[in-house]
Amino acid sequence: MPKGKLSLQPPKDCQEKRSLPPEVPWVSTTNFHSLPTPAPSPQLFPPISAEGYPPPPPDEEFCRTVRMGFQNMDNLQRQKLLAELLNSCNTEQLVFVSNFISPRLKRDFLKDLPIELSLHILSFINDPKTLSRASSVSKFWRSLLNDEFTWKNLCVRHHFRRRSSTVPVLPPSPTFESPTSKCSKFSYKDHFRRRYIVESNWKHGGRTLVTHISPDSGVVTSLQMCQNYIVVGMDNKKIHIFDVSDGNYIKTLTGHEGGVWALQYIDEVLVSGGCDREVRVWDIITAECRYVLHGHTSTVRSLKMKDKTIAVSGSRDATLRVWNIEEGRLLHLLAGHQASVRCMEICDDVVVSGSYDCTARVWNIMTGECLHILQGHYSQIYSIAFDGDKIVTGSLDSTARVWSRQTGFCLGVLQGHTSLVGQLQLHGSILVTGGSDGAIRIWDLETNRCVQNIAAHDNSVTCLQFDEKRIVSGGNDGHIKLWDIETGEFIREMTTSGNAVWRLAFQETKAVVLLQREGKTVMEVLDFDASET
Amino acid sequence: MAELKKVKLTSSEGTEFIVDRKVAEKSVLLKNMLEDVGESDMAIPLPNVTGPILNKVIDYCTHHRDDPFVNQEDDSKKVSDDIDDWDAEFCKVDQGTLFELILSANYLDIKPLLDLTCKTVANMIKGKTPDEIRKTFNIINDFTPEEEEHVRKENEWCEER
Repeated sequence: MPKGKLSLQPPKDCQEKRSLPPEVPWVSTTNFHSLPTPAPSPQLFPPISAEGYPPPPPDEEFCRTVRMGFQNMDNLQRQKLLAELLNSCNTEQLVFVSNFISPRLKRDFLKDLPIELSLHILSFINDPKTLSRASSVSKFWRSLLNDEFTWKNLCVRHHFRRRSSTVPVLPPSPTFESPTSKCSKFSYKDHFRRRYIVESNWKHGGRTLVTHISPDSGVVTSLQMCQNYIVVGMDNKKIHIFDVSDGNYIKTLTGHEGGVWALQYIDEVLVSGGCDREVRVWDIITAECRYVLHGHTSTVRSLKMKDKTIAVSGSRDATLRVWNIEEGRLLHLLAGHQASVRCMEICDDVVVSGSYDCTARVWNIMTGECLHILQGHYSQIYSIAFDGDKIVTGSLDSTARVWSRQTGFCLGVLQGHTSLVGQLQLHGSILVTGGSDGAIRIWDLETNRCVQNIAAHDNSVTCLQFDEKRIVSGGNDGHIKLWDIETGEFIREMTTSGNAVWRLAFQETKAVVLLQREGKTVMEVLDFDASET
Repeated sequence: MAELKKVKLTSSEGTEFIVDRKVAEKSVLLKNMLEDVGESDMAIPLPNVTGPILNKVIDYCTHHRDDPFVNQEDDSKKVSDDIDDWDAEFCKVDQGTLFELILSANYLDIKPLLDLTCKTVANMIKGKTPDEIRKTFNIINDFTPEEEEHVRKENEWCEER
């Protein structure tokens, strides 16, 4: 093509005639020919079909000139030229242009935006699947998605609290950037990952760590799982100790001359009581019985430790006794109840006791003084919960009552169960009760209203525990069931059912259940930890 | 009537926009400026915002002029599926425009618009495979095959659960 003929300024007549009105810039090529052409000169792009004008080969020189000319135009001129060019394209060429352009109109938002805005975008994503998939997109996305802020947010939104003492930090997954030397550093992403796996294991996975089947059918009366040990009290006078980490049997504490009905341990100090009317203080490590404390004249039915120095026992003899378990001596005799002391709870220096005399009492442990008598129930009290401020009692009269520790006044009567309220747990404003009617009820103590009523078991609820995510309940029907505490929905059965469930307890990643199955006493330890197997 | 006061804004190319003061005040930046300056007929220059984008922003602020000002920082409530029809329609723009809208909303300090545009991008990411995300935003996979395999393994934990 002769150089002299090239003019990259839009032809004058083209501008004047507005042969390509900007309103319809996307005219198809077939229509194009019916429109007035920008002829006469210069004929840069003759129609391909026009005979006698074989298209000139696009030489580099030409392309460069066009490009330079384009660059010298202002915005309006450029748009005009582009419109003309596009108007002379056939469909195939338009598709080419479209495919060529469309990726260029896209933006890598997360990479191109300031980082705080990218993180703001990510803060609207709360499903880990999307986030972890996004981290596989590119190196940049991966580094961005390792940002602590995003995963911290996610931890907050999934209620995965950081509990430094109970959550061992997994070594972070190795990254390209950082050597494995940073193993001990806390990472929200790893924390989230671990908690997420634990959560989904609770829902659909987990494994039975160990199953112990006793040769006899001894009744399990008490269970505690925390720190290092699982401690099981039996009506056959024995106390069995298991290792929390692997569920393995460690030892048996023998000495009680009757069934063990209550126990608690803190660190290595264990206190137990039972039918032999004695309170025994043990050293778990040496299995030695440090003290045998005499005084009660009937079965010790309940027992709580204030700390490693002071414990309180409650008995069928209607009294409570406060013991110095370090020195093995009686500090106070708390007399006043008219019948068996069935249950008790300690918070700080205050012990509350529930009795078959239909009352509960509030006592000062240090002085032995009775602070309040809580009267109102029409029948025996079987269960009690106490958080330092509120006291909740469960009774055979099928109600639970909420009391003020400060004033001793009854703050509310919780009605709904149709039978004995034998199980209670209180945390914050949430109270969960389990009844002999087989129901579990969730109460909001801000309003004293029942927020969920779950028909949980065919028979009495024998044990229950909840945390911020779930309720686990056991019943006389032999089932152990997992419930969503938020919705009250049934999630699943935790293990093969038996004849009856005695006791259960769970922690973040483990649960222990004691039940009677095929006539034998069975203990199962279930594990929901994040070990990827 | 203070309500009907007009404010002049100038986009980066120098195009002038006249809007109700109430509309302009959806922008915390402008609100503060107007409070500092007081009564004035001077146009406020916005050198970081182009005309077409400013036009969109004004559309948004006009539509939402009567919305109450909410200063919610409750992170546990953040969701991206609460976009109403008008807002969804508003965000049906090319990615370049959406990108500029995010920057402008941030610069002008219009929290609801920033949230809306960021949610829109979040929704473009949600539920997609890495490859679909790359296609959506025209991102080149710059992992080596070994690295890609490593990342896949690293993320295995949240698939199939």
